[in-house]
Amino acid sequence: MNKLLIIIKREYLSKVKKKSFFVLTILGPILMSLLIVLPVVLKENVSKTYTVMVVDSTPKTVINGDTIAFFDGKFVSNEKVIYSYGKDIEKAQNMLRNDEVDMVLEIVKSNDKVPIKTFSYFADNEPSLEAKEDVQQQVKQIFKNSVLMVNYDMSKEDIAIVNDPQIESYITDIRTGERSNSEMKMVLGAILGIMIYFFLFFFGGQIMRSVGEEKTSRIVEVLVSSVKSIYLLFGKIIAVALVGLTQLGLWIVLTLLLMGGLKVAQPDWFAVQPQEKIELNERVFTANKIDTLNIDTSPANEAIQELQSINFPLILSMFLVYFLLGYLLYGTLFGAVGSLLDEDSDASQFSLPITVPLIFAIVCLPMIMQDPSSSLSQWLSIIPFTSPMIMLVRIPYGVAVWQIVVSVVLLILTVIASLFVATKIYRSGILMYGKQVKYKDLFKWIKKKEN
Amino acid sequence: MNTILEVKNVTKAYETKVALDDVSLQVEKGCVFGLLGPNGAGKTTLIRMINQITKPDKGEILFNGEPLKEKHIQHVGYLPEERGLYKKMKVGEEALYLARLKGMSSTQARKSLDYWFEKFSISDWYNKKVQELSKGMQQKVQFITTVMHSPQLLIFDEPFSGFDPLNADLLKNEILELRDKGATIIFSTHNMESVEQICDNIVLINSSHKVLEGSVKEVKQRFKKGEFELIINSEFSNDLLTDGVELLGEKSENDTSIIRLKIEKGKNADLLSHILKTTDIISYKEILPSMNEIFIQTIKSTK
Repeated sequence: MNKLLIIIKREYLSKVKKKSFFVLTILGPILMSLLIVLPVVLKENVSKTYTVMVVDSTPKTVINGDTIAFFDGKFVSNEKVIYSYGKDIEKAQNMLRNDEVDMVLEIVKSNDKVPIKTFSYFADNEPSLEAKEDVQQQVKQIFKNSVLMVNYDMSKEDIAIVNDPQIESYITDIRTGERSNSEMKMVLGAILGIMIYFFLFFFGGQIMRSVGEEKTSRIVEVLVSSVKSIYLLFGKIIAVALVGLTQLGLWIVLTLLLMGGLKVAQPDWFAVQPQEKIELNERVFTANKIDTLNIDTSPANEAIQELQSINFPLILSMFLVYFLLGYLLYGTLFGAVGSLLDEDSDASQFSLPITVPLIFAIVCLPMIMQDPSSSLSQWLSIIPFTSPMIMLVRIPYGVAVWQIVVSVVLLILTVIASLFVATKIYRSGILMYGKQVKYKDLFKWIKKKEN
Repeated sequence: MNTILEVKNVTKAYETKVALDDVSLQVEKGCVFGLLGPNGAGKTTLIRMINQITKPDKGEILFNGEPLKEKHIQHVGYLPEERGLYKKMKVGEEALYLARLKGMSSTQARKSLDYWFEKFSISDWYNKKVQELSKGMQQKVQFITTVMHSPQLLIFDEPFSGFDPLNADLLKNEILELRDKGATIIFSTHNMESVEQICDNIVLINSSHKVLEGSVKEVKQRFKKGEFELIINSEFSNDLLTDGVELLGEKSENDTSIIRLKIEKGKNADLLSHILKTTDIISYKEILPSMNEIFIQTIKSTK
């Protein structure tokens, strides 16, 4: 155990002292700060006013003899979006094709819990996140208010639904028929999936190179005469994970420092945000009481409100679970491949089967985002080699508990199997020189009880 | 207890071939033990088993009379034939790291490092990276990492390869000094000259079998062919020879002749008294076979 700690310490320090670690540590926060600051800065300059034609296809309700439309004529134009109204969806779509409007919004009745759905169409350029969110935000608000006009006497459950209506919305490019969706959930899922992909590749590659370096420099023979080979592999896997955590921690701290510095240097970039937050909190508070119509057009507010509807504790814990298990799975396998590296022969034939599922998952990511509940999505989120990435894309949308359980259990079993297989390949592989290893050999090594 | 290491009927097979077949040997405490054999004979396999890198399929290995266990790792030092160090690590840190993996505490390791670095006068290398050193310098560092933890048993696999004659001599003296201080040394090599110089006992392994063992002196005696070298103070003539003596070669220079003879057992006295009647004998000695000859002869005969 003591020796394992000594190994972890060396591996950790040797990686932290590398130049690449230093460079990444510096570059990371700069990139992150840019990502945070740029949209704020650019927003000032590139703001376009979108014209949206609303077609309310929901049935009209009669109250006290008055015929009342649910949505028609109720949107409030502002500096971001100018609303107009149409009766006929075909006509509206033709106008869209002729560039007379930027976007068409059709609201239809559905038989779901929330009894409406929205279909948005755009032509040449996809509406900005701001415009889309303004539309969605207003749809929600108008829905709440209209429901209240029709029915004051609701059950608690209905109040909850009306309070935070999860209105299904579809955004389609009218020329290509392609569906677009840039909801926060989707962005969040994709970011998490890509982060896991990046971490697995990056850290797995580090483990592989580090094992290969020990083998080709021949120091491994001395090392295994001092410690069990399994300690060497696990020491590396643990150390690389710690290096990753250190890097992440440094990124967060440095980004906060950098942002703090920018705030002092360029206060106007940040001046808007705290104000908006306060407004938002007030608005959310009042909206929760189903108060009067109070439209706030700030995209940040909308984004944050959407974020509130996402189950963060679940997502964060799932991220950690899948990251840890995925890392163990790919880390041990990359370590085993590293033990097959030799000066004369490259191990690409062995690293390929490991990288293919990773790349496959990332290639499928757009499809998963399009339809997170398709059977492809479900399968890929359960199959252990792709599940760490794909399940995270799906989780913000809500996934059946049994699917998560099956996926995690399968992943754990696979991790155990890969630990078993990888350590056996590793302990034979590191001492094998000058001979082209074949898959046949690997199976023999795995079958061997002892070295 | 005079045996530090006992290998008992050890067999080890790999997928494609048998590396060691029922090999037994004993290594006496405080000796330099030559583990000889051509490439692929199974020497490395045996060494790896002593280092607990691999385990025998059959048979057992005893260290100080106990079956080999993890706790014995710290008593063994191993310098493999293919050497290597972390190239980007600093010399001092690397030596400390390897010593600690052998079970030394930080302070012990530091003390030992100071002793050895001073002894090899390389203290100013401490902060140099390994890749900045020449190959010979790296070998020195590697040697130090092998002996730093004062192991009872040292295993050197071709230790002289890559050393220039000066450093090889230095290394040889270090090895003998370690032996004199009580360490036991297993010395695996093809270099038969160095075997004669430093080994006390040897084992010769060929094609996974032990084919020869004994002390260097005893083995040489066993392989002697009754050949003698005689130097006399006159010109050589066939009249000098007696019955049971065969002339192998002679060389005369001025008034001295060097004669190589093969003499049957028990005929020495006759020959010498016969020669002494006519001339003076400057020297007379038995020619023992070199380890090199014994090596080649044994390998060929067991093929």
